[in-house]
Amino acid sequence: MTNASKTATKPKVAFFDFACCEGCQLQVANLGESLLDILGAIDVVEFREVMSEKWDKDYDVAIIEGSITDHHAEERIKKIRARSRVLIAYGACACIGGVNGMKNSFELDEIRRCVYGKDFKLFDSVKTRPVHQVVKVDYFVNGCPIYPPELVEVLKCALRGLPYTVPDNPVCVECKLNENVCMYDRGVSCLGPWTKAGCNSWCVNNGNICYGCRGEVKNPAKNAASDVIGKYKLSAGLIKNKFEMYNKCKEGDINGGK
Amino acid sequence: MNYHILKKDELDGFIKKLSGKMKVVAPVARGAGNFAFQEVSGASEIALKYIPTILPPKKYFMPQRETMLEFDISGAKPSDTAVVDAGETAVFGVHTCDLAGIQCLNMVFSERPRDYNYLRRKDKILLIGLECGDYCDEYASCALVNSHMPSGGYDLFFTDLGDRFIIHVHTQKAEELVEEMGLAKAVPADMTALEKVRAHKRSVFKKEVNVDPRKLPAIFAAGADSKVWKDVGARCVSCGNCTNVCPSCYCFDMADTMNLDLKTGVRTRTWDSCQLEPFAQVAGGENFRKERSERQRHRYFRKFKYSVDKFYRFFCTGCGRCTRTCMADISLKETLTSLVKENV
Repeated sequence: MTNASKTATKPKVAFFDFACCEGCQLQVANLGESLLDILGAIDVVEFREVMSEKWDKDYDVAIIEGSITDHHAEERIKKIRARSRVLIAYGACACIGGVNGMKNSFELDEIRRCVYGKDFKLFDSVKTRPVHQVVKVDYFVNGCPIYPPELVEVLKCALRGLPYTVPDNPVCVECKLNENVCMYDRGVSCLGPWTKAGCNSWCVNNGNICYGCRGEVKNPAKNAASDVIGKYKLSAGLIKNKFEMYNKCKEGDINGGK
Repeated sequence: MNYHILKKDELDGFIKKLSGKMKVVAPVARGAGNFAFQEVSGASEIALKYIPTILPPKKYFMPQRETMLEFDISGAKPSDTAVVDAGETAVFGVHTCDLAGIQCLNMVFSERPRDYNYLRRKDKILLIGLECGDYCDEYASCALVNSHMPSGGYDLFFTDLGDRFIIHVHTQKAEELVEEMGLAKAVPADMTALEKVRAHKRSVFKKEVNVDPRKLPAIFAAGADSKVWKDVGARCVSCGNCTNVCPSCYCFDMADTMNLDLKTGVRTRTWDSCQLEPFAQVAGGENFRKERSERQRHRYFRKFKYSVDKFYRFFCTGCGRCTRTCMADISLKETLTSLVKENV
């Protein structure tokens, strides 16, 4: 097989970004050795962080970073979806709204005025939504930033047409397997008990707390929360605030939007 | 009676000599009152007085994540190779509760079909016990399940006699090691001192829950619908901490993962927990233990009822880890006490 025909058979993959810090793209660019393996398996046709080429045909896989925060973004993501066989949302902004969702805690016009000043009406802005609340998402790679080994796993599943299941267990599960000293034992509150695992307790392994960037488990322990807050003498408001940093876009949480 | 003596100031030499022969792991202080078994190269790193480690030493017998198989599906016929990457390891300083846990796992994994990964690791482990002279803390309930005194399951067993350790040599492997290390034989005065330690323990360690332990399986059978489970379930976080830290929990999940070449891959097993919501979920979405109360009840039954039916022993070793680690303060001693009260 010639090189050209080999390239022709590789799946066409494009990376796009919406409202985000592009930190997840940076994680991809920083993958190192496994990036070379990935590039052996796919043909990257668009990726603003690392190349200037564009692609005008359909995508086998579109990988989306960022959340949807204005009408233009909404139209653009719908067009991308229409051209993509498989769509992967990656990073907290794309998967759960992420820090952009903090906007939803305020009156929209109030927050627009704060950011854009008196002429705020000139700047379009809508409530923050994760990608799946606008178009259907086939795979999720949670996290802020994404945990690179998980992206590789998801990519392998996407290339083989297999489902990837985001673990619906708290981060504590992986944290305990890694034998970390519990942050609560250190006198620090941590969102691990309510946050979806899959990151291999990356932050706690490195001495930080869990900030809840992967989103809540499906069935978080509502009653237990007050016991935990009581046991460790925490304030409920503090935990709530920590949660709202990443988890403010849960209304209308239907994959594919309404 | 095969007892030998090691002076306290000779422990460092003992550990160093041992680590020249194999990997030596022992309890090490990890801060915030936590301890963990990890590799050591001298006695100064070891915490001789420690409360049960975050994870029990079962992690050396069945690692948290273990590669079982490497496979290749590129050929006309898929091929595979079994993997066991176990090296010689001495686990030093294991308390009697954790020795009991390993005895439980030995029974489980020796059942047919045998678990060769577990058994081959076990073959390569030299188990060195260390006696607790007093309670580690108020969470332990080792006297209730009679695991506060040594009853086998080790190669060597150390008891602190102040300026020296008296060592019970229990296996052929241990016998050879003691000979090689040139440890002195214990004299009658040492045996008297050991008996004094045991007498003190008998006066300190008392059944932590007011119940005849022999009646516990029947109490559980009668209490299957007790409101105790509702109460415990209402508080449970479902974080799986209680089972992950349990010395006798052994459930695992298996998964095949492809490499990026999409031709080769590995089969891995990872600890799983009956406390997690997806654990008992099957194809079609049915979940046999959907409620937290059902899952907690299951955990307790696995320790005090089913294990007695199947293996004639409690699978609770009284180490207290599940209580110590519980985010929501669910206490094993309190749960048992409530259940017992309901059934008298």
